[in-house]
Amino acid sequence: MTRFVLRRVGLAVLTVWGVATLVFLMTKLIPGDAARVAAGRTATAEQIEAARQRLGLDRPMVEQYLHYLGGLLHGDLGWSASTKQPVAVDLQVAFPVTLQLVLVAMVFTVVVAIPLGTFAALRHGSAADAATRLVAILGGGVPVFWLALVLQWLFAVRLGWTPISGANGYGLDPPVVTGATLVDSLLAGSPQMFADSAAHLVLPALALSAPFLAVVVRNVRSTMLGVLGTDYASFAVAKGVTTWRLVVRHALPAAASSTLTILGMQLGFMLGAALLVEAVFAMPGLGTYLYTAILNQDTFAVLGGVLVTGAVFVLAGLVVDLIQMAIDPRVRSSHLAHA
Amino acid sequence: MSAGGPLLEVRDLAVRVRESEGPRLVRDVSFEIAAGERLALVGESGSGKSTVAKALVQLDRTVEVSGSVRFDGRELVGARPGDLRRVRGSGIAMIFQDPMTALNPVRRVLDQVAEPLVIRGVPRREARRLAVAMLDRLGVADAARRAHDYPTAFSGGMRQRVVMAAALVGGPRLLVADEPTTALDVRVQEQVLDLIEEQSRELGLAVLLITHDLGIVAGLADRVAVMRSGALVETRPVDELFADPHHPYTRGLLESVPRIDAAPGQRLRTVADAVDDTRESADA
Repeated sequence: MTRFVLRRVGLAVLTVWGVATLVFLMTKLIPGDAARVAAGRTATAEQIEAARQRLGLDRPMVEQYLHYLGGLLHGDLGWSASTKQPVAVDLQVAFPVTLQLVLVAMVFTVVVAIPLGTFAALRHGSAADAATRLVAILGGGVPVFWLALVLQWLFAVRLGWTPISGANGYGLDPPVVTGATLVDSLLAGSPQMFADSAAHLVLPALALSAPFLAVVVRNVRSTMLGVLGTDYASFAVAKGVTTWRLVVRHALPAAASSTLTILGMQLGFMLGAALLVEAVFAMPGLGTYLYTAILNQDTFAVLGGVLVTGAVFVLAGLVVDLIQMAIDPRVRSSHLAHA
Repeated sequence: MSAGGPLLEVRDLAVRVRESEGPRLVRDVSFEIAAGERLALVGESGSGKSTVAKALVQLDRTVEVSGSVRFDGRELVGARPGDLRRVRGSGIAMIFQDPMTALNPVRRVLDQVAEPLVIRGVPRREARRLAVAMLDRLGVADAARRAHDYPTAFSGGMRQRVVMAAALVGGPRLLVADEPTTALDVRVQEQVLDLIEEQSRELGLAVLLITHDLGIVAGLADRVAVMRSGALVETRPVDELFADPHHPYTRGLLESVPRIDAAPGQRLRTVADAVDDTRESADA
């Protein structure tokens, strides 16, 4: 067991290293001169040369690569040419905003998709099932930025139930500790700030979760249909269990593995899709940061942003695998057999 | 309980697929089982045996059951879900054909065996103690320790014992065994059948044995009901039926079983032969 966990963690580290290498190579292939960008638009040839030396861009590629990896190990992601700050510092601000958005959207997805998918499976073939599937298809087909705009117009402009955009109302931004407003307002001990932060998250999280919700609902529905059709589900019914117990004690635990796999992958995709939502709701998150960095040919900022996204993706996969090991004896025995 | 009446009384049972105009899967099925009696329901694949078994406690939600099923004097067709649930497990228990798929792979054996007790409000510790005792009684070696394993850690024969333990732990009065030995090898088949007979005798448990294997019927059943194309053709005490089958289909079934005392080189008849005989005699 320990051996498997170690192997799995090792594999995750290797994957992150692979991502870092790929990203490094890509920045070298992109046309444009990073030194020129770093030195600024009006720089002279000498200034550009000075920037080149300062950034180590005059060194051989292998040396640059090793230097980059060495820095990574110390948490040094390089300097951003556009913010004139270490990329790590920029990301400490931007990443928690996005992570918070994605996690809230994920919670929303789970809380809605699992009951809805289960309900559709239990009412298999009924009008309710058909309606659920239709809504799921619509939700999956609607572009995120469009949905974000519609939600904004309806709930913020017309109904006035939620704030339009931003992270906090005037004077309600909590002192920055983690960078995630929900956590920070709790740390500040202010229910008012927490409510305000939450209100600002409702629409973005809703918009972000919609397409993922659609995928997860359909996945949960089909997995549950399969599980409810098994002999062990029939046997449970023959033992006299209620439908509630059948679902909660028998079917959901059996369906959990497959659903977790989907959710883990969705988390990574959500990080990518967050860019569009952040743009509509004016949230200074990772997506916005990356977008700006790409436009400015800000090499190290792009590297840092992509690396963090990749790391979260890999980490989510790792966590899913470990949870599956913990809850599903089928997964456990198959891993042990191959360990 | 109804004084002197049969434990289970099935009258004009019919089953059809819900919301379909298609033919009934089962029709006009009537039989009864007395307390402690063992009835075998035999027939070829597709004759509707399992459909009848599932219809008794309405396990299959995709079908519509009509007619009458009275258990211990209470009508089950059209019964409220809560009443039906009380009968399931503690009145009528079921075991299935394939013990490899009848247990939930992600739940510990102990929880699955104790479940019929737990859902009836028996305190968890007591339920677990009784579950281990039942596993032990059904021949699961080292039951107290093994009960904490998951089903994947058990062989097919052991799993059928686990399934039986889960079925019997709630103290049912009728065990419906739907092809309980089909998925097992011959030696384990015998063990499981012996186990069913033993428990039936010791607990006064009535048994409805669903099978296509006439070979296992003689040793276990008191009476045999023969089913064909969704209807019963003949219900008789087991000795009579084997000695003198009335219905040509029953005769066909019996003749299609290879016998050790048959003359060498004698052709094994099929059920179709017997049915052809009937047609010819009808035409003549």
